[in-house]
Parts: sequence; C-alpha cells; structure tokens
Amino acid sequence: MFSNYRPKNNFDEYFKDNLNSAREILTPLLSSLNNMGLDELNRNHSAAKKLLLRHGATFRLNDTGLKGTERILPFDPLPRIISKNDWITLEEGLKQRLEAIDLFLDDIYNSQNIINDGIIPRELIESSDGWRPQMLGFKPPLNRWCQISGLDLIRDGKGTWHVLEDNLRCPSGVAYFLENRLVMKNIFPNLFSGRIVKPIDEYPSFLLKTLQELAVWTDTPKIVLLTPGIFNSAYFEHSYLAQEMGIQLVQGHDLVCNDNYVYLKTTSGLKRVDVIYRRVDDDFLDPLNFRKDSYLGVSGLLDVMRAGHAAVANVPGTGIADDKMIYSFVPKMIKYFLDEEPIIKNVETYICYYEKDREYVLKNLPKLVVKSVSEAGGYGMLIGPQSTTSEINEFSDKIKNNPRNFIAQPTLELSTVPSLCDGELYPCHVDLRPYILRGKDSWVSPGGLTRVALKKGSLVVNSSQGGGCKDTWVVGN
Amino acid sequence: MLLSRVAESLYWINRYLERAENISRFVEVSEAMSLDCPPGSAEPWLPLIDASSDRETFDSRFPEKKQDDVINFLIRDRINPNSIISCIQLARENARQIRDVMTSEMWEQINILYWNLQEGGSIWDLPRQEQLSEIRRGCQLFYGITDATLSKDIACQFSILGRLIERADKTSRILDVKYYLLLPSLDELGGVLDELQWIALLRSAGAYQMFRKAEQNSIQPNSVARFLLLDNNFPRSVRYCLDGISNTLKMIDTSPSSDNPSKLECMRGLLKAKWSYIRIEDIINDGLHEAIDSLQIDLNKLHNLIEDKYFINKEFDQ
Repeated sequence: MFSNYRPKNNFDEYFKDNLNSAREILTPLLSSLNNMGLDELNRNHSAAKKLLLRHGATFRLNDTGLKGTERILPFDPLPRIISKNDWITLEEGLKQRLEAIDLFLDDIYNSQNIINDGIIPRELIESSDGWRPQMLGFKPPLNRWCQISGLDLIRDGKGTWHVLEDNLRCPSGVAYFLENRLVMKNIFPNLFSGRIVKPIDEYPSFLLKTLQELAVWTDTPKIVLLTPGIFNSAYFEHSYLAQEMGIQLVQGHDLVCNDNYVYLKTTSGLKRVDVIYRRVDDDFLDPLNFRKDSYLGVSGLLDVMRAGHAAVANVPGTGIADDKMIYSFVPKMIKYFLDEEPIIKNVETYICYYEKDREYVLKNLPKLVVKSVSEAGGYGMLIGPQSTTSEINEFSDKIKNNPRNFIAQPTLELSTVPSLCDGELYPCHVDLRPYILRGKDSWVSPGGLTRVALKKGSLVVNSSQGGGCKDTWVVGN
Repeated sequence: MLLSRVAESLYWINRYLERAENISRFVEVSEAMSLDCPPGSAEPWLPLIDASSDRETFDSRFPEKKQDDVINFLIRDRINPNSIISCIQLARENARQIRDVMTSEMWEQINILYWNLQEGGSIWDLPRQEQLSEIRRGCQLFYGITDATLSKDIACQFSILGRLIERADKTSRILDVKYYLLLPSLDELGGVLDELQWIALLRSAGAYQMFRKAEQNSIQPNSVARFLLLDNNFPRSVRYCLDGISNTLKMIDTSPSSDNPSKLECMRGLLKAKWSYIRIEDIINDGLHEAIDSLQIDLNKLHNLIEDKYFINKEFDQ
C-alpha cells in the first residue's frame, strides 16, 4: 500500500526516514492497512463521505445564503497516532497553559498587576481587538474565564511539539473530532485491531458537567446553547453538541432579559436560564453592551452576568488572551503567575510592534510567515517562501503602516502524515487542536481534531482554505 | 417546555412533508391516469395546480400549459414554493434549526431525502412513477420514525398538529377540484359515470382501497364525498383529521378555561362540532364547494390562532 509513498524531508509521523523504518507505534496499523489495500481504502473512503453527508456533518462557507453550497469537511481515513507518553506531557502542558491564561484574564480585567509590574505593556493590551473594557471588574463563577478552549499544536521538523495558537473565544471543530471517530469505527473497524485507542466519547458529558458547575446558585441549572443560527458555518456543531448534551439550542430572539434575569420564550411562557454556552462572538452577544447593530444576541445579557444571575461560557473578553501578539507573552505569564517553565513551547515569534523585531522581519520576509493578529481562519497571512516579490512588498507596506497588527514566525516544516490525495497516498501537513474543559476540574480531550492540508504541498489546514481532518488516536506504546 | 420557535418548526416540517407527500401521490395517480386520455392535452392536469391555489402563478409563467410544465412545476420547480422540491427543502431547513429536538434518526431521514432530490441525487435516475413513490415513501418513513423514536410529549403534539391540518386541507382540495369536473353534466343527465376517473380521485387521496372496504356498492359521487369528508375511521378524511386536531390541541393546552375559553379553544370546538354533526346530503344540497371553501377559511383561522398563541411569544417581544 505504501510502495509509492515518499516521505518529505521533514518529520513524518508514520516513517522515520524511509519506508523501511516505520515508527514502532505504527506497526499494528500499518499491518491492518496493508491487509486492506489501496482499492478498499478508496472504496471505504467514499462510503465514509456518504455517511458524513447523511449525518449532516456539513458546513456552509461564509457569505453563502439559503442556496449556498453546503459541504462536508473533507475527511481523511488514515488516522494520526500519538503515543500515550507524548500525550501525558501534552496534557500537563495544556493544563498549565490554561491555568496561567485564566489567571492572566482575571488579573487583566481586575488588578492588572502584570501591567503594573511591567511584564506586558498596557498599550498592547488596550489596543487589542480582543480587549473588552466592559468586562473590567468582572468576576466570573469559579473564577474561570475559559471554560472551553481549543489550542492549536504543531510538530516542527524535529518532531517537537509547539503551541501555535490559543483559541479561547468559541473554538470550533469538536463535533468533527467526535464524528471522525464515529466514522472510523463504522467504516474502518479493522484498523483498530490489535490495540486500544483512548476513547473520546465522554466529551459531551464533561462539557455538560463543566457548564452545570458554573451555576453556583442552583443544583438544577437550566442550560442552553446559543447559536447564531443555521447560516453560521459551525451550525452543525452547535446542533450536534446540544443534542449530545440534551440541552436546548437557542437563538438570540429565543431569549429575553428582564429585571437582571435571562429567560427563554416557550410555548408555556418565560422560563429562567442559568447557563449559556454561547457560540456567538463577544461583539454580537449583547447589543446593549457590545455592538449595537447585532441581532444575534440578547440585550442586557452582560448586566444579568454582572448581577450573578446567569453564567456565560466562555466569558466575554477572553479574546484578549488569544490575540496572536499576546500569545507571545504566554510563557511570561506562566512564569509570572505560576513560577513555572512552560511545558509546551511557543513558536518563536517576532512582534512587529517592537522596532528591533520589525527590522528583522522586514529584512527576512521571504523566510517568514507573517500573520495579522486580528484575523483567523488562515486569512490575512503571508507565507514568505511561497509568495511572489510583489506580494512580499505589499505585505511589507502593510506592516510599516500598522505594526501593532502583525507578528512573524519562522516558516515551520509542519510534520506530515500519509493521507489520500486523488486516490494516492501523499505526505500531508497536519496540526492538532485538543480541547480543554475547565469547570471545577480540568479535562483534556485525548487527542483532538487533526486538521490536514489536503492540497499537495499546502501548509494551510483551515477548513475555509481547503483543509480536511483525520481521526487522532492516543495509544499505549 | 418547548421553545416557540421550535414548536413552529416542528409544525411546519410536518406540514411541508405532508404537502410533498400529497403532491407526489396526486401526480403519480394523474400521470398513470393520463395514459388513458388523448395525448398532449394538459387539461386534466390543471386541477393539480388548482389544488394548491397556484393557478395564477403557473399561467403567467407557463402560458402554453403543457403537461410537462405542470409536472415540472409541481415536482422540481424551485421557484414554486409549493413544489415537492421546495417543500422538502423548507422542511429540511426547519429541521436543521431544531436538530437538538429531533432524534438523529428523524434528522437523517429528512436529510437524506433532501440530498437525494438535489441535482445528481439518486432519485432522478428512476422512472418518474418510481421517483414519486420514492418521495412519498420518504415522507411516510419520516412519520414512522417520528412515531417510533420521538417521545410523546409536546414536541410530538405540534408535529401531529401540522401534519393533520395540512392533510385535512389537501384531502378537501382534491375533492373540491375534481368533484364538479367528474359529475355527469346536466344535459346528459343520467349519463354514464366515468368510474375510472372516480377511482383515480380516490387514489389521489390515498383512499381507494379503504373506500372499497367501507362501501361495497358501486361508486357514487355522494359516497365518495362522504368517505373523503366524513368517514370516522379513514385517517385522511376531513372529519378524522379534525378529530385529531381537536384532541391534539386539548393535549397541548394544559390550562384551558371553560368559563372564558380562548379564541383558539372556541375555534377548535366549533370546527369539531360542525364536522361531527353534519350529513353528506345536507352538504351536497347546500353546495359542496361552499362547504369546502368555508372549511379552508376555518383551517386558516385555526392556523393563525395557533400561531398567535404558541409561535409568537407576545409576553416579551424584543
């Protein structure tokens, strides 16, 4: 099956340097794959796509309406494997990072010691798109700000893990993470033979528990999931999670605030709501306190939160900590708040706001990846080695005009995993998004969503840019 | 406890699917029937369009009124909001909004029905009669899955409500548009009844076999009208549907006030009484068309009252 497969010069997660040196942990899987053969793999791959379509695991690209194209997230059947030993370290590292970030958020919206002690300049905080001065003085239940986060991890050319991004607002993808495993079990049960893959099905239970714990004022909280509606690209996930947790999926106009409580409009009148898992961005959450033109949110919700009569996860304002520039300060936060060294390293990051970094970046653009700190989804970035001179010059001007808006990182050779491209196996770049839940306890999903750049040679794994996903297995050695 | 928006979606999903099911049966029967008619004539087809009150739209878009135009308009036309494809699409859009309330088996059925009807979907490879029966079965399977997997709570009641209101409406319309066409004209009084056509009418309402079981005599216009309007046991008759609507509304309304009933409660009782205590002879003497017309006005009123009470939450509208 792998006879035509040629690993690239970077870190291939299946093979060490050539086809004769498969990594030990891959042995059972490679033998099942060889028994199956490429033809059957391709056949079952189409069956998997049909199953995903039937389940409705589809997303709509931005800016498409009722008749817009709905498509499944491309699914690749070759699982990505992570050893339990690696995983234990990653889990620790993720918990550590989130602990520091939560302390940072509490600090920055209250006493601001980290600014006063000169660790992070005030200007960088207050100029961030994620900064929400409305949250100053706010104390969320359990002192937790990020109940649900999904961090992006990558492995560099040597196989070392790094944090690439912190997604702390409404990270998406978890439904695909769960759905991928379901598809693998349905369509490719043979590939599981000979080993135990750490199960992931408890995610909805832990999520529900995390949300319930936020309602410190009652033992029988009413919990709802707030979605922007069916035109949102992650709508499938919203409905999927609501269904799995048995909670109601609501839209802004289903809710109403009155006398500092928030209610659901039902066929039998108004019913009080305790916890809202919101999948609506900060800006649109509450037209009274945030963007006035939003019709997706609930007027007065922030006041209900301040009165302590409802909890919202994640708390508005967490976006300050996943600003791509503030990201570069997370190792300092870990040191400052926990007095520890970061277990998972950041990717080396140049901050164009600082003159010295900016000079370096402007001189070395062809070697670097430049990202706009305010954009997500793989938009607004420059991949130096793959860009033309005019694209580089254009970006150079953008950086000079608004240095606060840009950071740069060395172009990393992301690790690769064999994947089906046009019916053949090809080494495709991957990243990993594990999900971290924090209520009274912390819980990290075993593995996470592996996103894969299915276009040959592409480094961009975002679904909006032609990326796909694979199942991720955490297995014993 | 049910969100107003969710109740409305459940209601409409079932109305749309019931509508699609009725249209598919109607076209299926008419097409089979047309093989016995002179070729090329669209006239026997137009009542299909009348039955959904879309005649004006149709005439302006398809002045030639060809048979294929009619069939296309009813099945695959995306501009016609009452075509099968539009109904299924609207049902699925509603279903997508309330996936947390439906069981995943219900969702998958409606979702796969939708995808099979899209361009390149598996249904279009079949001969047309098969396409139509496939669509009809797809809708029926959804009712079956609903019955077998969804808890019998208020969500289920709103589903049944939508289905029955649509069904009462469609059965009565089919009868209305066909009845006078098929009556022997006055100048050939005592002329031969075209039994084939009356059988086709019964089949269009999915009623032929049950009619035969209930009425052993030869087919008479009065007995067909009685069966479709007033039969106590046939699940697609108007009376049966109104009975179901009345019972369902009573189950939904947990705190009715008998001293000062709501408008909806009055309408429910009135409709039920009106159609429980009426004889087919009287309906025919006073005018079948007028009776059906007033039924449709009443059903619309009922719908508006349900909407006011349950779908629009007036207490606190932002």
